[in-house]
Amino acid sequence: MTGLAWVAEAVLLGCLLSWRWIGLSAIKPAWARVLLRAGAGAAGGMGLVSCLFFLLGVLAGSPAAAMVVELALLAWAALDFFRRRGSAPRMGVAAGRTPVLLAVSAVLVVAIATGAIAAGWQFNPLGNWDAWAIWNLRARFLASGAGLASRAWSPALGQMTHPDYPMLVSALVGRCWAFSHSVSPIAPQAVGYAFFLALLALVGGGVAALRGPVLGLLAALVLAASPALVHEVPAQYADVPLACYFAGAAVFAMLDEPIASGILAGFAAWTKDEGALFLVVFGAAILIFRRQAFSRAAAGAMPGIALLLVFKLGLAHANSSSLLASSLPGAAQRVTEGSRYGAILASFGRELAGLGVGWYHPVLPLAAAALALRFDRSRAREAAFAGVVALGLLAGYFGVYSVTSNDLAWQLQTSLGRLLVQVWPLLLLAAFACLRVPQLAAATPVPRKRKAAVKERRTRA
Amino acid sequence: MSRNSEPMQSRAAVLAGVAATAALCLWGALETYGFERAYQQQNRDPYMVEAQFARLAGIAATVPENAVMGYLTDAQDGSAGASAMLAGAQYVLAPRLLARGTGHEWVLGNFARPGDFAAVGRSHGLELQQDFGNGAVLYRHEAPR
Repeated sequence: MTGLAWVAEAVLLGCLLSWRWIGLSAIKPAWARVLLRAGAGAAGGMGLVSCLFFLLGVLAGSPAAAMVVELALLAWAALDFFRRRGSAPRMGVAAGRTPVLLAVSAVLVVAIATGAIAAGWQFNPLGNWDAWAIWNLRARFLASGAGLASRAWSPALGQMTHPDYPMLVSALVGRCWAFSHSVSPIAPQAVGYAFFLALLALVGGGVAALRGPVLGLLAALVLAASPALVHEVPAQYADVPLACYFAGAAVFAMLDEPIASGILAGFAAWTKDEGALFLVVFGAAILIFRRQAFSRAAAGAMPGIALLLVFKLGLAHANSSSLLASSLPGAAQRVTEGSRYGAILASFGRELAGLGVGWYHPVLPLAAAALALRFDRSRAREAAFAGVVALGLLAGYFGVYSVTSNDLAWQLQTSLGRLLVQVWPLLLLAAFACLRVPQLAAATPVPRKRKAAVKERRTRA
Repeated sequence: MSRNSEPMQSRAAVLAGVAATAALCLWGALETYGFERAYQQQNRDPYMVEAQFARLAGIAATVPENAVMGYLTDAQDGSAGASAMLAGAQYVLAPRLLARGTGHEWVLGNFARPGDFAAVGRSHGLELQQDFGNGAVLYRHEAPR
């Protein structure tokens, strides 16, 4: 149980800090503000304590110091919260009414998704292969103290465990195990679930803040009812945390909160190698669409980038297993093989279809919403921002597959589905950003034929 | 009608669309639940990692946590089975580090088939410290390095 308590503590710390530092007081409806602060708080808090534990508990060799700093920060943030409570200005534009039935549906779908995730916890409490062969294995080393933590990136582990992968998830789980003196699977399970809820909160709250409560709830519904995403949560991999950081960074950029956006983008880089590609694509998108926010977003991302560089260039330099680096020899020949592109495209098609289950595919509710609400072209720029980031990532993944020296079929089969899960929330964000707000659609002028009929009835009367 | 927007829908069509979206999501969540429950049940611990905690408990109790252990197996090198056996044992025995080969004081014998494990050890200059059953064997170098 105490492992779970330390996950909760990280989330609470992040929520208090996000309440203190992220200026969302103008956001309406109020629940969107709460969701955004909770989502950013959960994701940011888990990222922050992971960094603190890696720096103080692992590199400085004192898990106790990491715990003391964390608890001191929590005490200060809690005190500050109670001192300032009620003083925050409540302003902003009026938001549409929140449809209660839709909110109830969203809660119901999240509850059902939780049931599906719980089946994974019940039958596979240690998660899937990469959980115990990579992420949680390294967490066990990091939690062991006594000078053994550096084994988490030891070349002796071999390429199979990718000892040079970024450490956010492993350090977070290792921290929970070290602080609780117990290697319980509840900690990594809770970490995965907390990131899943944070992702829903960030996408639902973000769309609600940008486009009103109905679209926000619909976005959360579609995301929570995405079978491939739900399937990845109990796997205890780093893909759901990464998806959360991708979506969070995009949401806060769209809400003109560049520092928060940058912090989450930096955490993405500290989560998985794909996060470094995200930094490049995201930075380019910010330069194109929101140039004035670039320097603040870059400043926010710096801590994550610095930690990544220290780890990659300093600690794990000798055992690099980077897919891109290992693929460079012979890449020139592989890029000229046309059959590879056909295989990659076919696999993209298969895995996109595989985001669903049975007859259900998460594109169906999205299509229903788009058909009913139609698109608001004045919002094309916002949609383009999230869309460019998502498509840039997909193009990057396509490029890596085209040069990989690993067996292409194996590489595609074992990774592409998870890569699409990382990008799926961004695609939803892009789609919902440009759907027409239902309140506006409801207040539409009556079509001509009906208008004439109404006029005729009035004349008769 | 806004110049930037597509033709607008009637209120009824909008409500129907929103309701259909929510209903589709509920259906999707239920489908996901049914699929996940069946999938997880059918694929319960496919690499038997949980079972390794009991199988290797004696070795974990004997070998100090800071040890780097050698690793000996009869599984075909490069096969999925060999990878699963090594990765599962490594997870369970961490923070002990497993290194392929026999060049360490302690060596884990991780065998899939029964055999004369003492003879296997002798052929590598290893003394069988204890056979814990189920192919889990602890060796020690006859003359510790």
